[in-house]
Amino acid sequence: MMEQLISVNDLTIAYPMADGEIFRALKRISIDIHRGQVVGVVGESGAGKSTIGKAALGLLDENAVIETGDVSLGGNSISGLSESEFTPIRGKRIGYIYQNPMTALNPVLTIGEQLLETIETHTDKKGKSARAYAIELLEHAEVTEAEDRLSKYPHQLSGGLCQRMVFAIAICARPDLIIADEPTTALDVTVQKAVLDTLKKLAKQDNIAIILITHDMGVVAEICDYVYVLRYGGMVEHGPTKQILTQPKKDYSRELMAAIPRIDKKLARFAVPGGMSKTGNRQRALDFLLDREERSAIAKGEPLLSVRNLSKTFVTPANVVSAAKEFKAVDNISFDVISGETMGIVGESGSGKSTVGRMILGLHTPDEGYQLTYHGKDLPVAKSRAERLELSKSLQCIFQDPYSSLNPRMTAGENITHAIKAHGIIGRTAAHELAGNLMELVGLQRGNVRKMPHALSGGERQRIGIARALSFRPDFLFCDEPTSALDVTVQAELLNLMKDLQEALGLTMLFVSHDLAVVRQMCDRVMVMKSGQVVEIGDCDKVLVNPDNPYTQGLLKVMPRFSFDEAR
Amino acid sequence: METAVEQTMTSRPDKPEPTKWKRAKKVFKGHPMAIAGLIGVTLFILTAIFAPLIAPQNPYDLAKLDILDGLLPPGSRLYDGTYSVMGTDALGRDILSGVMYGLRISLFVAFTAVLVGSSIGVLLGLLAALRGGWVETIIMRAVDLKISFPGILLALMLLAIFGTGVDKVIYALIIGAWASKARLVRAVALSEMKKEYIDAARLAGLSDFRIMTRFLLPNSISPVLVVLPMSISGAIGAEATLSFLGVGVPITEPSLGLLIANGNDYLLSGKWWISIFPGLVLVAMVLCINVVSDRLRDHSNPYLRAKD
Repeated sequence: MMEQLISVNDLTIAYPMADGEIFRALKRISIDIHRGQVVGVVGESGAGKSTIGKAALGLLDENAVIETGDVSLGGNSISGLSESEFTPIRGKRIGYIYQNPMTALNPVLTIGEQLLETIETHTDKKGKSARAYAIELLEHAEVTEAEDRLSKYPHQLSGGLCQRMVFAIAICARPDLIIADEPTTALDVTVQKAVLDTLKKLAKQDNIAIILITHDMGVVAEICDYVYVLRYGGMVEHGPTKQILTQPKKDYSRELMAAIPRIDKKLARFAVPGGMSKTGNRQRALDFLLDREERSAIAKGEPLLSVRNLSKTFVTPANVVSAAKEFKAVDNISFDVISGETMGIVGESGSGKSTVGRMILGLHTPDEGYQLTYHGKDLPVAKSRAERLELSKSLQCIFQDPYSSLNPRMTAGENITHAIKAHGIIGRTAAHELAGNLMELVGLQRGNVRKMPHALSGGERQRIGIARALSFRPDFLFCDEPTSALDVTVQAELLNLMKDLQEALGLTMLFVSHDLAVVRQMCDRVMVMKSGQVVEIGDCDKVLVNPDNPYTQGLLKVMPRFSFDEAR
Repeated sequence: METAVEQTMTSRPDKPEPTKWKRAKKVFKGHPMAIAGLIGVTLFILTAIFAPLIAPQNPYDLAKLDILDGLLPPGSRLYDGTYSVMGTDALGRDILSGVMYGLRISLFVAFTAVLVGSSIGVLLGLLAALRGGWVETIIMRAVDLKISFPGILLALMLLAIFGTGVDKVIYALIIGAWASKARLVRAVALSEMKKEYIDAARLAGLSDFRIMTRFLLPNSISPVLVVLPMSISGAIGAEATLSFLGVGVPITEPSLGLLIANGNDYLLSGKWWISIFPGLVLVAMVLCINVVSDRLRDHSNPYLRAKD
C-alpha cells in the first residue's frame, strides 16, 4: 500500500461577492493522493479545478473563505497556515507548473539564473555543484544540450523547451507533490505528447505525486492513474482512469467523453445537447438567411474559390541598428474550395494557416503574382467601399478569440446588426427583430440581445460572433480556429451548431484549426500546412487516416488519444 | 480563478446591471478624503455658477464702488452699512465678491480649454492609431514637439503674439492640453486595434469614421477620462500663473490669479487679505480636484497599469 501524501477533506471554498451573495468555488470536495500517483482533475472552466491547486499551495485570493474541511500534507493540516509558514512548503514540498511557460519564466533572466536561484534557495548546493545539479536536472527533464541552454533567455527557446525548464525548476528541491495546472494547453499538439511523457517519467523516477489539472480527457487518458471529474465546484465522479473512461456512471462524464472530437471516425454530430435551436422560432431567421441573392451559377461541386500562387512576405522595416528582415509566412500555395464543402487547413502555430484566410478576406495584401477567383470573378484588390460591401455580404469570418472579437461597448444585439444597419440594409426596428431571430437560431435566448458581451460566457460570445457573420447572409464562411479558446463540451456544441447551419443554409466553409480531430469531424477535405507551404492536400478520409506524407504521419502519431471503442 | 468566478456569475439568473449611480457611489465609498474633495468641488462649481446671485457686491459695477471703502481689513463695516467678510482692495471692491466672480472666470477658462483641448487630442490620437503611416508620423512628431516645450513658456509666447484676453488664454491652454491626451489615447487605441472586433468591423465594410467613433473611441477613452480632472486643476493653475504674470485675462474680468497679482504690491505693507484669500481659494480648489482625481485614478489603476 502506498503512503497517503496529500488529502483534501470535505473542502468548501467561498468567495463573498460584491453584491452580498456568496460564490462557492468548491463544494465539499475530497481528494486523496498517494506517492508516485498521477491524479487528473478534469472539468470545464469554472469547475473549480485550479482552486484546488491554489488551496494546496496557500495561494488563494485574499477574500477566499474556507468554509468547511481542510488540506493536509503528510498528515498535517496546512490549510490554516500563515504566509511565512507556507514558504518552506512551497517549492520544497509542493512544486507548481504553470499553464503558460512563456509567462511563468522571467523574461529578463537567463534560464540558468532562474534555475540556480531556485536550487540555491531550496537545497544546500551552491556555486559549482548547483550548476552541475542544474545540468543534471535539465537532462532529467529531457532537455537536449543542457549546458548551452543555461545561458539562454526564455524567448530564445520554444514553448516545449520552456515548459521543460519549468519542470526542472519544479523538481529541483525533490518535492513530494507537483501540481501541474494545464501544463500542455499553451503548447502545440506535436510537443504535447513529449512533454507529458517527460512529466510521467519524472513522477515514476522520483516517486513524486502529480496533480494534473486539465480540461482535456485525451491528456488524462494519456498519463493519469486516477481521475476526479468536477463541475461547478462539485464532485461529479471519481475512479481509476480506465473505469471512468470505459464505464462512466454519470451523464456528465459521458458527455465530457462524447465531446472529445475523435480522429478515427467521422460522426454526423457530437452526442451532446446543443446545436441549432430545434424550436419553431428558428424558422424566421432561416427564412431571412435563405432569402439571400444568388451570386453566381456555380453549382454544388464546382470550385467556388480558387487560390493560385498565393504568397505573403512580412517585412520588418530597416532601422538604425538592423537591416530590413523578411519573413515568408505563406509560400506559393494553390488550392480550390468547392461549393458546399468544408475545407480544412491544419498546421502548427506559425504555419501560416490563418494568414491564408486573412488574405482571402482582404485583411492582408498578398505578394504580387497571385490569383484569387471567387464566384468565377477575380477578388477585387484595391476595394472601393461598394465592392467591399458586396464582398462582405458574401464572405464572412468567425474569429478565433470570442473574448476580443466582440465590441465590448456594444450590446450583444448591436454587435450582431450594427454593420448591416450602418450600410442601410435594414432599419432600426427590423434590426432589433433580426438580432433576436438570429440569436434564437444560434441557440441563445432572445433576451440576451440587451446584454453586454462581458456578461456572457465564451461559448455564448462565440455564438454571437456566428450570428454577426450570418447577419450578412453570406454563402462562404472563413472559420479561424473558432473553438480553440473554448472548453471541449462547448466546442462540441458549437461544432454541432456549425454543422447544422451549414446543412440548413448550404454554406461553404474554410475551416482553420490546429486540432486534427476537430478538422476530421468538420471537414470534407483538408490541406496540411508547414512553414507556409502545403504539405499534403486531399480528402479527410485519406489524409487524416492513411497519410502519404511523413510530416502528416508524424502529426497523427503524436495526437493524444485513447481507444474510444473501449470507452463505449 | 477570475475567469471561474466570472463564468459562474454569468450563468446565474439575470441580475440587473448596477446602475451608473451605484457604480459611482462605490468609487467613493470608504474614502472620506475623496468625498470631502467631491463636496468641495461641487461647492466651488455652484458658487461660480451662482456668483451674481449670492455675491454681496458686483465688483464690475463701478457705480457700486466707493473709494472710501478702500483697503479695509476683513470684517470691516463698509460705507453703505454692510460688512465685508474678506476685506476690500484699494478700489473699495469686496474681496469675497471678487473671489466669487474670479472663480467663475478661472473655472470657465480651465474647463473650456481642457475639454476642447482633450477632444482635439483624443481625435488626433485615434486618427494616428487608425491610419498609421505618414498621418501617424506627423501627428506624433507634433506631439513630441509640443511636449518638448515647457508649457508655460509656450503659453507666454503665444499670448505675447496674440495679445491678452479670456479667449486668447483659452487658446493658449488648449494648445497646452491636447498633446498628452493624443499620446495616451494612441497607446490604448493601438492595443485595441489588434483585437479581432476591429477586424470584424473592417470586414463588414464599415467606414474608418464609423470604426473610429463607434468601436475605437468608446474602448480607448477611459484613461483620458481618468486624467481629465487632473488636467483641469493643472489648467486652473496655469491660467492663474499667466494672469499673475499679467499676460492672462484683462483687469476688467479678474480671475483668481489676477486678484492675487492685485494684492501683491500691498503684501509687504500689511494688507495681506487682498492676496491671501484668492490664493487660499485657489489652493483649496486645486486640492479638492486633485483628491477626487487621485481617487478616480486609483480606482481604475489596474486598467492604467495594463494599458499605459
